Amino acid sequence: MGEDRRQAARAPEVERVRIRLTINGEARGFEVAAGRRLLDLLRDDAGLIGTKEGCGAGECGACTVLLDGKPVTSCLVLAASCDGHAVTTVEGLGGSPGTMHPFQRALVTHGGVQCGFCTPGVAVTGAAILAGGHQPAEGARLLAGNLCRCTGYEKIFSALEAAAEEVRRDE
Amino acid sequence: MTSHLEPVPGPLGGRHPRIDAAAKVTGSTRYVADLALPGMLHAALATATVASARVLGVDTAAARAHADVVAVLTAADVPANSIGVIFGDQPLLVTDRVRMVGDRFALVAARTAEAAWTAARLVGASLEELPGVFDPVAAVADDAPLVNGASNVFRTFHVQRGDTAKQAKRAAVVVEAEYRVGGQDHAYLEPQGCLAIPEGRERITIVASCQCPFYIQQGVASVLGLPLAAVRVEQAPTGGGFGGKEDYPTEPAACAALLAWHTGHPVRLIYPRELDLQATTKRHAMVVRHRWGADRAGRLRFAEVETFMDAGAYVGLSTVVAERANVSAIGPYHVGAVRVATHVVYTNNLFGGAFRGFGAPQVTWAAEATMDKLATRLGMDPVELRRVNVLDDTRRTICTGQRLRTPVLAREVLDRAVELAGWDGFRAAPPAADGAWRHGMGVSLVLYGCNLHWGGQRLDRSSAVVILQADGSVVVRVGLTEMGQGNLTACQTVAAAALGVDPSQVQVWQPDTTTVADSGPTVASRGSLMSGRAILDAVRRLRVRLDPVAAELLGCRPGEVELAGGFARVAGSPERAVAMQAVAKEMSARRIETIATGWHRTKARRFDPATGQGAPYEFYAMACHVARVAVDPGLGIVRVEEVTAAHDVGRVLHRDALEGQIHGGVVQGMGWGVSEELRLDRGRLVNPNFTDYVIPTSADAPRITIALVESDSEAGPCGAKGIGEPSFIPTAAAVRNAVCDALGVEVDTLPLTPPRLVEALGERHPFAWVVEAATRPATEHEPATVGPRA
Repeated sequence: MGEDRRQAARAPEVERVRIRLTINGEARGFEVAAGRRLLDLLRDDAGLIGTKEGCGAGECGACTVLLDGKPVTSCLVLAASCDGHAVTTVEGLGGSPGTMHPFQRALVTHGGVQCGFCTPGVAVTGAAILAGGHQPAEGARLLAGNLCRCTGYEKIFSALEAAAEEVRRDE
Repeated sequence: MTSHLEPVPGPLGGRHPRIDAAAKVTGSTRYVADLALPGMLHAALATATVASARVLGVDTAAARAHADVVAVLTAADVPANSIGVIFGDQPLLVTDRVRMVGDRFALVAARTAEAAWTAARLVGASLEELPGVFDPVAAVADDAPLVNGASNVFRTFHVQRGDTAKQAKRAAVVVEAEYRVGGQDHAYLEPQGCLAIPEGRERITIVASCQCPFYIQQGVASVLGLPLAAVRVEQAPTGGGFGGKEDYPTEPAACAALLAWHTGHPVRLIYPRELDLQATTKRHAMVVRHRWGADRAGRLRFAEVETFMDAGAYVGLSTVVAERANVSAIGPYHVGAVRVATHVVYTNNLFGGAFRGFGAPQVTWAAEATMDKLATRLGMDPVELRRVNVLDDTRRTICTGQRLRTPVLAREVLDRAVELAGWDGFRAAPPAADGAWRHGMGVSLVLYGCNLHWGGQRLDRSSAVVILQADGSVVVRVGLTEMGQGNLTACQTVAAAALGVDPSQVQVWQPDTTTVADSGPTVASRGSLMSGRAILDAVRRLRVRLDPVAAELLGCRPGEVELAGGFARVAGSPERAVAMQAVAKEMSARRIETIATGWHRTKARRFDPATGQGAPYEFYAMACHVARVAVDPGLGIVRVEEVTAAHDVGRVLHRDALEGQIHGGVVQGMGWGVSEELRLDRGRLVNPNFTDYVIPTSADAPRITIALVESDSEAGPCGAKGIGEPSFIPTAAAVRNAVCDALGVEVDTLPLTPPRLVEALGERHPFAWVVEAATRPATEHEPATVGPRA
C-alpha cells in the first residue's frame, strides 16, 4: 500500500460554479463546488438548518424542500442545477418570519409532531399536497415518501385534513 | 398537599400543544447536527467489514497523510480501552480481534466531514479471517468457534414454578413449536450523533442525541480517566430513540471525546445512515422453543419455554433484556407450572441492545402463537381460550409467583379490544375473499412490567428541580429525556397541575447532568412515571416555603392554601385568591428560596435470580391488540387494515402524547412483524438502507382504534402508568395470528415477508401447481391437464 493511497489522498481540484437562486423569497448568490448538494448549500451556506439529513439517499424525505413549488429530496439535487430557480424550505413555508403555514399550525394542534426530525420534510410535502389541490384522503399515498418512525402517521393525517379544511374555508 | 393520586383539575388528560412542537415544525429546533462551533473538527470511524478476524496490524499512514486530517487514533491512544454498559467485554477500539462487522480500528478527526470519512476509508487493517458463528443455536454446540470468552453462553436466566412434568400428565393437548423471531433496527429518523467540547485537560462537555446522558457521562469518564464531575452531558433534542439511543450513544460519545481530548478542538460525529444501520445495536433475534399443554377445558396446565437469544459479539444489555423476556414469557395467563430458560448467547452477528419492549415482544410473539395453536387443537375460539386463562382480580399470580396489585385489567383490555374490533361478528361471518385478498383476524395480549427489573433497581430513581421565577413562571429540570415520546410535555403537565398554573407558564428544559442527579436511563416506559413523581416531590418541598407566604397574603393558615387556576386560594373559599405571580413576587422580594429538588425511587423488592421467583417489577400494565388483515396468498403480501388497541394506562397525563405513543407503537410493531428484515450474510447487513430495509410508510399505516381502560395506579404521577413499550409489544403477534387465520397455515418465523408466506403455504399456495408442473419430469408432462388442482 502507500503510493496509490497517497495519490488518492491528494485533494482533488474542484470545479466551482457561481449560481443565483431565490430561497424563501430572497434572491441569493453562492459559489459552490460542482458536486455540492442543495441540502448542504441550504444548511451550511445559507444557514437554514431546518432541512434535515436522515439518509442522504433520497429514501427518508427528511430533507424535502420545494423547488419551484414541487417537493424534492434536497440530498439528491445538485446545488448548481438550481441556478435561476426558487427554493422554499420549512423556514419559508409560512410566507413571512413568525408565520406558520396552516399545515404547520395543524401539526402543532393535532399532535402530529413527536421527535420532530421528519417534521420539516412532512410539513413541506403536506404544504405541496394542499397547494396541489389534492384531497386530504390522498395524503396516505402522497406522504409515503416521508418516513416517520414516531407517530404512526395517524395524527399527521388528521392535521392534513384540518389544514385542508382551513385552506378551503379561506378560499 | 399534593398526593400523587389526587386528581388535580387543570391540564391533566388534555391535549394542549406539546412544549416542543412549534419549534420543531418551523425547523428551528437545533439537533446535534445543527450545532457547530469555531474550530470544530469532524470525526469519522474506520470499521470492520468482516465479522470474525485476527488483527495483524492497523496502518494509519495514508489516512494521516490525507488533506485536512488532524488526528488519527488507534487502540494505543485510548487511556482505558473498554466500553460496555454493564460488563467490560467490548473494546472501544479493537486490538487483536474483530468480533463483529462495525468493530472500530481507528478514529479520524478532520476539518471537513468529507475528508474525515474519506481518510477513514484509507485506514488499512491487515486481517486473518477466522471462522465465525452466526446462529444462536449453532453457537452453543461444543465445537462452535468461541466469540468472546470461554463460552458462547454468557449466562442463562430461569423461571421455575411448580412441577411441569406432573402437570403435563393432566394436559389433553400439548403444543411443541420452535419460533424463529427476527431482530429489528430502530430506524430513528435522526442518525446517531454527538459533539464533544473539551475545556483544556480538565473537563469536557458532550452534547448528544441520546436517551441516557448519565450512561454517557460514566462511559466518557471511564475512557478518559476523569471524575464524573468533570464530564458534563447535555441531551440535544433527540430525533427518535426507541432504545437505540439508550446504550449505544456512549460509543460515539467516547470516540468524539477521545478525539476532542487529543486535538483540543470541539469534535462532532454524525453517523451516515449506512453505518448507523450497519454498526449499531439491534433488537435481539431469538429462537424460542415451546412445550405448552392445556386440559380439555382449555386451562393451561404447564408451559416450558427455552430461548436462545442472539446477543451478538458483545453482551451489552442482553442480560437485562433476558430478565424482562422471562417475566413476559407466558403472557398474562395463569399457569401453575412453568419452566423458562433464556440463554444469552454470543455470536458474530451485530450486537443486540435496548429496543422498545426489551425482550418482551419476541417471547410474546411466541406465546401468542402457541395460544392460537392450542385453540386450534382444542377447537376453541382464540379469544375464548384466552378468557379461560387470563389474569384478573381473582387470579393474579404471574409466573414469578408475584401476586399483582388490583385492579388487574388483563381481562378488561381483552374484552374491550375484541368488542371494539367486532371479533364475534368477524368469526361468525368472516368476510368473503375480495379478489385475491383473504381476510383474517388475530389477537394478542401482553403482560408488561413498568419501570426497571429487580436486577436494575439500583438505577430506578429520579431527580427533579423546580424553580419558581419572580414572575410566577416555572422552570423544571428532570434527569429523564425527551426523544419524541413527549416527556417534556408530560413533565410540564404534571408540574402545571401540581402548581395550579397554566402549562404555558412551565418550561421544562432538556436534561443536563450538571443540573440534576443521576436519574438512570430513559427506558422501560419510565420517563413520565419517574420524572413526574420526582416533580411532585419537588413541588411538595417548594410548597413548604410557598404556602406560608401565600397564607399571609390570603389571611389564612398555610394548611388551607390550595393552588389552582393560576392562583393561590383558600380551600373552600375560591373567591379568596391571590395570583401565583403575586406570591412569586413576594417570595422573591423576601429572598425566600424558590428552588426545590425532588426525588423518587421505586420500592425495594425481593427476587431470587436462581429460580426467577419474586417481585421483578413493582407495577404492571396490560394491553391487548386485535389485528384485521388482508393477505394475498399468491404474492404473500400482508395488508394490515386495522389494529384495535386496548390499554391499561392508569390515568391519562396528556392525551395526544398517549395516543401518539400507541399509534407509533402499533405501526413500528407492524413493521417488525411483516416487513423489517435484517438480512445478515456472515454477520454483515446486506440491506443497510431504507429501500431494502423496509419500515412502514404512510401508505402502509393501518386504521388504529384505541380503547383506554383507566384506573388509579400508584406507578406514576397522578395515577399514570407507562405506555411506550406496551403500545408496541402485542401488534406483531396479533398480525401473525390474523395472517395465519386468513391463510389457514401456521407461520413460525418473523417477519412475515412474502417469501416466508409463500413457503409456509407450500402445496396450498395458489400457484403451487405451476411449480409442480414446471418441476415434474418431462415424460409425465401433459399440457392438457395442467391447471389448478380441484
